[in-house]
Amino acid sequence: MNTKTRENLTAFWFLLPFLVALAVFFAFAFARTVGFSFTNYNLFNKNDFVGLDNFVKLPQDPLFINALTNTFVFSFVVTIMQTIGALLLAVVLNQKLAGLGFFRTAYYFPSIASSAVTTLIFIWLFRPTGLLAYLGATLGNYAGFILAFLGIAILVQVAQVLFERSRNLPATWYDPALLLVSLIAAFILTNVLAGVGIVQIGNAEAEPLVWLSSRDKWLGFIPYPLLAIIVMNTFTTIPTLMLTFLAGLQGISHSVYEAASIDGANPIQQMLYITIPMLRPVTFYVVTVSLIGTLQMFDQAAMLDGTAPLEGTITLAYYVYNNVFRGGAEAQVGLASAAALILAALTLLVVQIQRKFFVSDEGAGR
Amino acid sequence: MTTPAVTTRVNGVEVSHAWIARRRWSYAALLYTILVFFAIMFMGPLLMAALSSLKADPLEYPPRLAFEEVAPRNWAAAWSLGAQGSGNPWNGGLVAGRSVSYSASYLIPDGVLASGANPEILAVNIPRLRPGAGALALGNFVYAADYAKIEDLKLVKTEAARLKDGKSAQRVVYEWKVVYPQDAKNADDPSKPAPRIDRTPMTLEAPRGYLFESSTLSPSRLENVQAATTEFPYSYPKIQSFINAVPGFANYAFRNYFRIFDEARSQTTGQALFMRWILNTFLLVIVVTISTLIFASMAGYAMARLEFFGKAALFLLVLFVMTVPNQVLFISNYLVLRDLGLLNSFIGVWLVLPFIGAGQVFFMKQFFETLPKELEEAAKIDGATPFQTFWKVILPLATPALGALTILTAQGTWNQYFWALIVLTSPQDNFTLPIGLNSFNRLYGPAGDYGLILAGAIVSAIPVIILFSVFQRYFVASAATSGGKE
Repeated sequence: MNTKTRENLTAFWFLLPFLVALAVFFAFAFARTVGFSFTNYNLFNKNDFVGLDNFVKLPQDPLFINALTNTFVFSFVVTIMQTIGALLLAVVLNQKLAGLGFFRTAYYFPSIASSAVTTLIFIWLFRPTGLLAYLGATLGNYAGFILAFLGIAILVQVAQVLFERSRNLPATWYDPALLLVSLIAAFILTNVLAGVGIVQIGNAEAEPLVWLSSRDKWLGFIPYPLLAIIVMNTFTTIPTLMLTFLAGLQGISHSVYEAASIDGANPIQQMLYITIPMLRPVTFYVVTVSLIGTLQMFDQAAMLDGTAPLEGTITLAYYVYNNVFRGGAEAQVGLASAAALILAALTLLVVQIQRKFFVSDEGAGR
Repeated sequence: MTTPAVTTRVNGVEVSHAWIARRRWSYAALLYTILVFFAIMFMGPLLMAALSSLKADPLEYPPRLAFEEVAPRNWAAAWSLGAQGSGNPWNGGLVAGRSVSYSASYLIPDGVLASGANPEILAVNIPRLRPGAGALALGNFVYAADYAKIEDLKLVKTEAARLKDGKSAQRVVYEWKVVYPQDAKNADDPSKPAPRIDRTPMTLEAPRGYLFESSTLSPSRLENVQAATTEFPYSYPKIQSFINAVPGFANYAFRNYFRIFDEARSQTTGQALFMRWILNTFLLVIVVTISTLIFASMAGYAMARLEFFGKAALFLLVLFVMTVPNQVLFISNYLVLRDLGLLNSFIGVWLVLPFIGAGQVFFMKQFFETLPKELEEAAKIDGATPFQTFWKVILPLATPALGALTILTAQGTWNQYFWALIVLTSPQDNFTLPIGLNSFNRLYGPAGDYGLILAGAIVSAIPVIILFSVFQRYFVASAATSGGKE
């Protein structure tokens, strides 16, 4: 036995458990799904070749179109929201302050519990007279108070800045020391105004929050139950993406910001012209990872089935499952397989785009 | 002698250092405010759920932060009632030959009683209630109504008092005893000794117009019972009900947590389900983590260090596997398990789970590539076989990576939903926690019994929270490098 064969054999033994699993649970499974997509298999006996029938039938199934639109809407909205949210949080956390470790831990909290746990808690929060309905009502009752507070704060801030400038001090419009004074002054003044009854605090009861049972669509294109999942998913995924951004931010040298602030760039300009362009590769990575994750959203849709109307929560991933395990009705494995392959194709497309751009970006940037 | 003011130029203007320092401090103050706001936002839902899981009714409106179950006064009362009722201040309950004393006070606004009339007596009852709302609540209950009695009910005090709005009223105080007679016979089988009563529900019904003020233990619910009253004072009789009049401290403050372990029972064996689910999940985590560690490190090592036919192709395949959605694979995997008779079994879930870790193989491969090659070459010269090298030289060096892999796999398995949902459908005895929680939601959600659901959710989140707190840096490091993909 020569060295090469021996090494091949060694590697084979090392790889054996993985290869067996790969062969049975991946290669065989994948091939079978492709095969099923050309048949009318129903988990038991029927198993005839039907050609491209399933792929023709899919676009005619309103539930499939429904699932596809839900998936796209969900994927785009969540990706946009969580990328922006994660970036902002990372910028806030990327400061030189004591105790940031605590805050990083606190922000990571929503990501550690299982999807089952967070979904249950959110179902409870979204109850018609649950905590969110209550918060909404409270916010509505305090709307006048909040508006008055903001108005007074802005007025005080403008007055203070103008006064400082009249004394030839270089106060900017968002000067932190003056802002702190303005906020405290506004808080006291608004409370006084509320005390004498000029600012009214409402006393309205909560409107029942019916997102989970609603069949309506928000802005005409996001079903309300899906909107609830969007809120939930954004909330639970922001922390992980935030950490990715944070790692990216820590790679940007501090001297760049110092140079910019010497040139008179304000924080917003620094964000727009330094942070965002320099984070481009990280952002790209975050966006694609988020797209891949959201395209495959399953757990929340599955847990909400029964609580919310199916058409409001169904995604491509759940459509596949739902066509196989239909709770009594005959399984449509062929249709499900075809839909699964479309889901896989969408995911692969995003991955390919990611590989292409991510690699070239890294090459250009470093 | 005064020191000259220290100044710096900012945007071409001379400002004092104090001016700049003031801005720095204010900036930090504002930033911390924002940070605290976000911390509340991110931890809020879980913390609110944890707090509300202590309530008898987490759906109460408006939601309160301070409620009966977190009031120290009630804890003390529950402790002492438990001690009186069974000698067990933690779990409470009532045993034969013991009694607990209760009191309650009511306010009677002036005008409710006809002048010169004496206050009426309170009605105290022990209703015959089945515990729990869910269909899982099975088994033989001991009904407190069969054994316990209310005795010595009397009006002990009448005094002048004022209502909250300042109107004058009369305060009446009643006292009574909940007694479990020593000579009580077992209702099901007189030859057996009288059973211990775990739960003693109780209701108080005051005459119309009497306003409830306080009682030894705060009632779980104040119910308005609609009754047509067209005469002054236009009020309804009110019922104050106690879910358990003789709780111990733990049983009172953490009632829903006792319920999740007591109420949900297997339809076949009558065993408590929640404990089974916890054990199932723990076992699964251990087995899956160990098998993942073994095959991911072996395969990762081979792909990093050994030369073999098709190495590049295998690497591409691993990358491909990582991107294929589970939904493409579950049909065949379900059928394979069905053909092997492994559906609804522990082994079934275990078999498919480690495989999902193509990512884990990739992770170990990346790690092994960072180790210096000289070590293996030295081992080879010393005559070690590849397996000895792997076992004695490489693995000890890989402890950090194996640690990270352990933590992440354990968390992922504990939280795993999709595959467990596919494989485990019945009986409920074999569920894992996430699937069990889902069944809780289906059973208790429609009844609005969210105390049980929230308590279950919190209990199943505790292990990962502990894992996270202890091994935080692994989570942070992996999230920073791998992003959000599970």
